[in-house]
Amino acid sequence: MSNEVRLLRFLAQDMTQAELGKRVGLTRQTIAAIEQGRYSPSLDVAFRIAHLFGKRVDEVFHWQPGGAEGNVAANSDAG
Amino acid sequence: MSSLEKRAWLALWSMCPVYCVYFAIQIGFPNLLPTMLERIGCLAVVASIHAVAYVSGLLMIKRREAGEPFLEDERDRAIDGRATRMAYFVLITGMIVVGVVMPFNNSGWKLVNTALLGIVLAETVRYALILIGYRRPRLAH
Repeated sequence: MSNEVRLLRFLAQDMTQAELGKRVGLTRQTIAAIEQGRYSPSLDVAFRIAHLFGKRVDEVFHWQPGGAEGNVAANSDAG
Repeated sequence: MSSLEKRAWLALWSMCPVYCVYFAIQIGFPNLLPTMLERIGCLAVVASIHAVAYVSGLLMIKRREAGEPFLEDERDRAIDGRATRMAYFVLITGMIVVGVVMPFNNSGWKLVNTALLGIVLAETVRYALILIGYRRPRLAH
């Protein structure tokens, strides 16, 4: 799953990862992992990030078939 | 580095060296500590060194983290959950060996040390999988 979080942060007056994390309830490390595609956030967090930037979820996160098995497992664990 | 990752490194570094030395003594020099009191003393010393190293490291981490808004989030909990689940299987295997298989042929300190080895292995697997989960998420999933 790819995303536009880094671009949206840049457009939002160069918001820092720590600031974005603070506003959506995540650590700076998790924001960095999301931006790098190493972690797919839960639906709740995805909605919070999209809402923060005034976008729809599908405008921020793009799902690509055939590479999401691990992410599905991660999200089911995250509850 | 996330808070959980730092704690996992600390747990591994405080636990593995001391218990490696302990098990090396128990396996390599079984007659070095002949009496029960000496063996209990050795175990107490090892556990104390582990506890002191872990607690002092934890205090240092907490001091550095003072003021950080979020120390743990959903990603940390997911990684921890997976690692704990895998470690549980290691622990339960160790306990089956100690409680079901070994009592037919062994007794005393052999059972104690095997149980301790099972616990240390389970903890090592847990913290190692936490570290792997942060660096190579696909392997931990």
